[in-house]
Amino acid sequence: MIRHVLAALVGVLLLALPAPRAEAQEATGELQALLQSRAELVADASRRTVQEVLDLLVDSELPEVPRFLATWAAREVYRRNADGLFVYVEDGDATPLTLIDISTGAVVGAATSREVTQLRPNRGVQTVIASALVAFQLASDDPAERLAALDAIDDAPDETHLPLLRELLQTETDEDVIAVAEVLLPKLVIAFDRDDADRVAAIESLAGNVSLAARATLNPLLATTAGVGTALPEGENLARVLEPGGDIAREAAYAMLVEAGLAPPLVSRAQIRDTLAANVVDGRVGGMPVGQLNTEAARDRAYAVLVEAGVAQPAPTEAEVEAALASHVFYETYREPSQAVTDAARATLDGIETRVGLYRVFDLSLDGLSLASIYFLAAIGLAITFGVMGVINMAHGEFIMIGAYTGYVVQTLVPDYTLSIAIAIPLAFAVTFGGGVAMERLVIRWLYHRPLETLLATFGISIALQQIVRQIFGTQARPLTPPEWLAGSVSLNDVVSISSIRIAIFVLGAVFFVLLWLILNRTRLGLEVRAVTQNPRMAASMGINPDRINMLTFGLGSGIAGIAGVAIGLFAQVVPDLGSNYIVQSFMTVVVGGVGNIFGTLIGAGMIGGLQKFIEWLNPTNTLAAQTYMILFVILFIQFRPRGIIALRGRAAGD
Amino acid sequence: MEGSIFTRNRSVPVFIGVLTLLALGVTVLSEAYGTGALSVSFTKVLGMTLCLCLAALAMDLVWGYCGILSLGHFAFFGLGGYVIGMWLMTARTETIVRASLEGAVIPPTEAEVSTATALQIFSVVGATDWPWMWAVSDSLFLSLVMVVLVPGLLALVFGWLAFRSRVTGVYLSILTQAMTLALSLYLFQNDTGLRGNNGLSGLQNIPGLETIGQDRISVWFFWASALVLGLAYVGAAWMVSGKFGNIIRGIRDDEQRVRFLGYRVEGYKLFVFTFTGILCGVAGALYYPQAGIVNPDEIAPIASIYLAVWVAIGGRGRLYGAVIGAAVVSLLSTYFTGGRAPDIDLGVYVIEWVDWWPVLLGLGFVLVTLFAPKGLGGLVDSLVRKDAP
Amino acid sequence: MKKLLLASALSVVSAHAASAEIRVGILHSLTGTMAISETTLRDVMLMLIEQQNAAGGLLGQEIVPVVVDPASDWPLFAERARELLTVHDVDVIFGCWTSVSRKSVLPVIEELNGLMFYPVQYEGEESSRNVFYTGAAPNQQAIPAVDYYLEELGVEVFALLGTDYVYPRTTNRILEQYLLDAGIPQENIFVNYTPFGHSDWSSIVADVVALGEGGQQVGVISTINGDANVGFYAELAAQGVSADDIPVVAFSVGEEELAGFDTAPLAGHLAAWNYFMSADTPENEAFIEAWHAFIGDENRPTNDPMEAHYIGFNMWVQAVEAAGTTDVDAVREAMYGIQVPNLTGGVAEMLPNHHLTKPVLIGEIRADGQFDIISQTDPVPGDAWTDYLAESAVLESDWPGLGCGMYNTETQSCVQIQSNY
Repeated sequence: MIRHVLAALVGVLLLALPAPRAEAQEATGELQALLQSRAELVADASRRTVQEVLDLLVDSELPEVPRFLATWAAREVYRRNADGLFVYVEDGDATPLTLIDISTGAVVGAATSREVTQLRPNRGVQTVIASALVAFQLASDDPAERLAALDAIDDAPDETHLPLLRELLQTETDEDVIAVAEVLLPKLVIAFDRDDADRVAAIESLAGNVSLAARATLNPLLATTAGVGTALPEGENLARVLEPGGDIAREAAYAMLVEAGLAPPLVSRAQIRDTLAANVVDGRVGGMPVGQLNTEAARDRAYAVLVEAGVAQPAPTEAEVEAALASHVFYETYREPSQAVTDAARATLDGIETRVGLYRVFDLSLDGLSLASIYFLAAIGLAITFGVMGVINMAHGEFIMIGAYTGYVVQTLVPDYTLSIAIAIPLAFAVTFGGGVAMERLVIRWLYHRPLETLLATFGISIALQQIVRQIFGTQARPLTPPEWLAGSVSLNDVVSISSIRIAIFVLGAVFFVLLWLILNRTRLGLEVRAVTQNPRMAASMGINPDRINMLTFGLGSGIAGIAGVAIGLFAQVVPDLGSNYIVQSFMTVVVGGVGNIFGTLIGAGMIGGLQKFIEWLNPTNTLAAQTYMILFVILFIQFRPRGIIALRGRAAGD
Repeated sequence: MEGSIFTRNRSVPVFIGVLTLLALGVTVLSEAYGTGALSVSFTKVLGMTLCLCLAALAMDLVWGYCGILSLGHFAFFGLGGYVIGMWLMTARTETIVRASLEGAVIPPTEAEVSTATALQIFSVVGATDWPWMWAVSDSLFLSLVMVVLVPGLLALVFGWLAFRSRVTGVYLSILTQAMTLALSLYLFQNDTGLRGNNGLSGLQNIPGLETIGQDRISVWFFWASALVLGLAYVGAAWMVSGKFGNIIRGIRDDEQRVRFLGYRVEGYKLFVFTFTGILCGVAGALYYPQAGIVNPDEIAPIASIYLAVWVAIGGRGRLYGAVIGAAVVSLLSTYFTGGRAPDIDLGVYVIEWVDWWPVLLGLGFVLVTLFAPKGLGGLVDSLVRKDAP
Repeated sequence: MKKLLLASALSVVSAHAASAEIRVGILHSLTGTMAISETTLRDVMLMLIEQQNAAGGLLGQEIVPVVVDPASDWPLFAERARELLTVHDVDVIFGCWTSVSRKSVLPVIEELNGLMFYPVQYEGEESSRNVFYTGAAPNQQAIPAVDYYLEELGVEVFALLGTDYVYPRTTNRILEQYLLDAGIPQENIFVNYTPFGHSDWSSIVADVVALGEGGQQVGVISTINGDANVGFYAELAAQGVSADDIPVVAFSVGEEELAGFDTAPLAGHLAAWNYFMSADTPENEAFIEAWHAFIGDENRPTNDPMEAHYIGFNMWVQAVEAAGTTDVDAVREAMYGIQVPNLTGGVAEMLPNHHLTKPVLIGEIRADGQFDIISQTDPVPGDAWTDYLAESAVLESDWPGLGCGMYNTETQSCVQIQSNY
């Protein structure tokens, strides 16, 4: 972002540059000489040291300084290796590079990329340079420049910016600039103003503002330092008193005492051993032969002898530690000296945090819902093939994977992302529908009476498919890029946001649910499917062709898996084992929800997704643990509801 | 139903005979005790294959005879490896630590030795203390007991819960799969005490036998594996030949009917499930010291599915079928992925076995399930014209 | 079955008849999850061997590569290593990628006194007599990157995100201690581990963004492995987090990995390595040219582990020439102090602790999937045992001097000759 702004700036400043004059060659001196005097600091700029150069340049008041700074930050300044001359290069990809004088803009020569060194100030240095440019930019006529300056202030505010900003607000006419400046002002007032009343007012103006910036402004005011003493300190802005064993661990409290020199240090077991080892004389220490010192008790006795002899430091006893802790107070003080400010900040922040907490819960629910919709999408095809037909299809995951690869292939052929997704979805359905029908005809229909063997046969198909895809596309993850309008996120504020692609997946899941429910419950096909599932013979004698129904149902389930694959590929990565990552979870989703009912699958996915997010929230550092406990929960859950949340009753419930 | 198991089930003497011949052959060809024609690495492969056969035998009992398609029996196999691995690591590391502390001025306390050992073992995952599950890892005897107890208890608790709630058929399969997935995810975590993804390694170095070369140790492990497999085979044949065998076969074919006949179906199923879990645990405890490393990848759900596939290919419901299936498939896999199988040059395309073997294997499962439901064992049957025991 | 066993046994035996040529074992997974990274290393080794043979071989003999496939299966690594050493009689092995595969191979290679070159950046805390580590130790990659964050970007809150396995765990443990020593309070260090191939990043990214509420600059140190990066960077982009707001420095994302991404949203994020393809030196140009010619694809990137194998192989060749034999012990003795030019400029030297001196480069991801090198240090000597953890700080590795890879300087004794696997 900085870089783009700087690049734009370079362009603007270039236009403003005086036309090169013939005598310029001689007159290059001043800026170049200044830079050469700090050549190493410029060439190897570091955030910590670059300020010196910047001060020098700004103080010189040379007219070409702003352009130099902007060009430097945009990484278009080079240094010639032969003589150390700093030059501009406008087109870094050209061969040879055209070197341009930094003052006159005249061409001073050409060089290959190895004869010059590009100065690449890092992001930290860029920020400092941008900060130095603020004064120049705020004075610019171009509102975009002034906005860039405000951006730089936001990145690295310092005390000098406050008057500049106030000045700007009095003269500024551009509404966008005013809006940004007004948001920025409280931050600077709170950080740098001398007048407490102004600061408190600025703090209170942030009440109820859940933005990250507001919290980032307020929190530093409440930073504290821990201290210890015999009495509470006078004249400091006390935050709270710490109770050893309560607010602060006893060990930590004692360590503070030791550090402050108020108590003797504890003696560790290792120290005792080392002291004993250092005092061995003739194979004996503290009156004991070294060989006997292989228990802690013996070592303690020997150490006591050494202490008595004055060779070793006595270890404080438990009672001494207790007394030392009791005779001192532990406290925290605010680094901010003004109590009015800290009180206001505390009150405002408390209000903000309550709201943030509520929004967090909301955000967490959204995440859970999103995860649930992904599980639902992965499992819904299975809800038909396994749930309705009772076929265990271990290759279900591979249909998801094939759907994702179909999307990838379409995207390599059709460069427009929106169009390619629009093509990929029906195509993925067609491909996996065909695959499903073929599999049903060739393999599964021979095994309807042997469900466990279906499992093995489809597992065989699963590993074969995976390996074939690996042969065709390689093991490398393939990108499936969402179109522009799905790339961002929808955010309510800085706390609640959800990426668009997840919303799309949620919508897709909902559409599928409605669609399937309608197909199964409101169409002739659905009626026939249910009839065949419940009693194939009876259905056949009613004139339904069970073969055809089975084939279509299986194709439908597989086709939906293909579409799910496109959706999952858009937010995850397209790899040959994409599907196998979802297969166990999908089966669990269907089983937990209750077989034979897509409502059940919906609820199952909701429960599993929500639960996983909840466990993750309890222990945010370890996602793996959340998955483990979620599965354990599912195992236990099935023990108590073996037929799932929504259990079928009657005949259909039979195995 | 008279006579010993050797005469009642003809496959038993044949199997024991083949196994004995194999053990003799390996010994005669081994580097340590024979001509040296058989490399140490291949001896280890053979020994490990026998352990896999043992696991397949257990799988056949639980699935082929009792009708419970468990997709989690490799979890017990892995657990057996972990339990024995804990002892192997602890004992080996402790020896090293004691040796390094020998020169210290002050002799180390037991606590110091223990701390230093823990540091050596767990520093790889950033921990320094002994996790609770390593409590008996310093005793070989207790560890051997645990090899039986840990997989057994897990199988018992899991089976009790599942059978009590009448979870059957495909539901049970999915549940067992979830169990092995949960276990492998649990072990994958670095802070659960079993060294996470790294697992337990260096297991081929047997404490106390440091001076004995791998050439001899590999043969010893082969013998041990053959012995246990032989015993298990005889035991399993005895189990399935009597009344017990009839009942569990009855459960496989019609659970309700057996229940109505007054048998406590859940008890029988629980016994078979637990017993086979223990068998797998023992197999794992023999397998991993030969493999050298056990880690969570070993018990990923796919491993257990493969176990079922071996049994299916070998032919379930016949004990020798399971053994043949495991041996043939795993040895073929070793052969084709080991880079020794010659590639087939078709001119336009070179078929590399490494790449195409999984495809072939997968399609093989499909064909066997469709056209040879009795598996390779069924082939043997038709050759000797004898029905399965 | 018996027949089959004998047949394969015989095929093993026939391979045993070794000839006079020099054999180089290549132990990289060609199938399974790691094939994505390791196949390239097999290819680069074949190229280096081909080049050496074209230049007249080694000691007047031809070098024959022996390629085996451990199939991303860790126990199989041990099995294949034993085969390479005992059945194929190789003189040296170049191989392994993951730490667990290395730990699986270690006991075998130490038992049989083999020699292995390990080319990948790793967590350190190891120095085997039989392994030369040509990838970066933590102090050659992670620590300089953190210094860059502290010094140059002024980062005060650190999010250490990693995949849950040993390399991230150990690296993060070292970094955590390093940050604490640098005065960063514990509550400003957020650690999170995710499984391999993780894809549900939204709440983790939200957590990282929320770290900014303290008003301090947040930086992410990523040891996220492989495919999971796709989802991670996509989620960062989706939530509108740019490199200006929260920079991410990755230790496992190189040119090869970026080839699978849409790199536009990643621009400006960082990676720390010892090599970048964009390094502008004559050596690198020649290497890339040779690679493209060998692989027949102008678009194949080069990356850091490839350079490690380039350096390792050239060092081994020099050591064999110096020793006049491929005998493992003689070659090992000859390895110490050998120097080979880096592809990024400067010289790599083999140290007594079996690690290299390496320059540390920090690069910014460009939209075209390459890196802008924005910082390059002088060569840093690799440290087998980190100085930032109390229990490791006292350990030292010096094979020629002390004959020990795990020497306790406090008790003045060798903790163990074998490595701790």
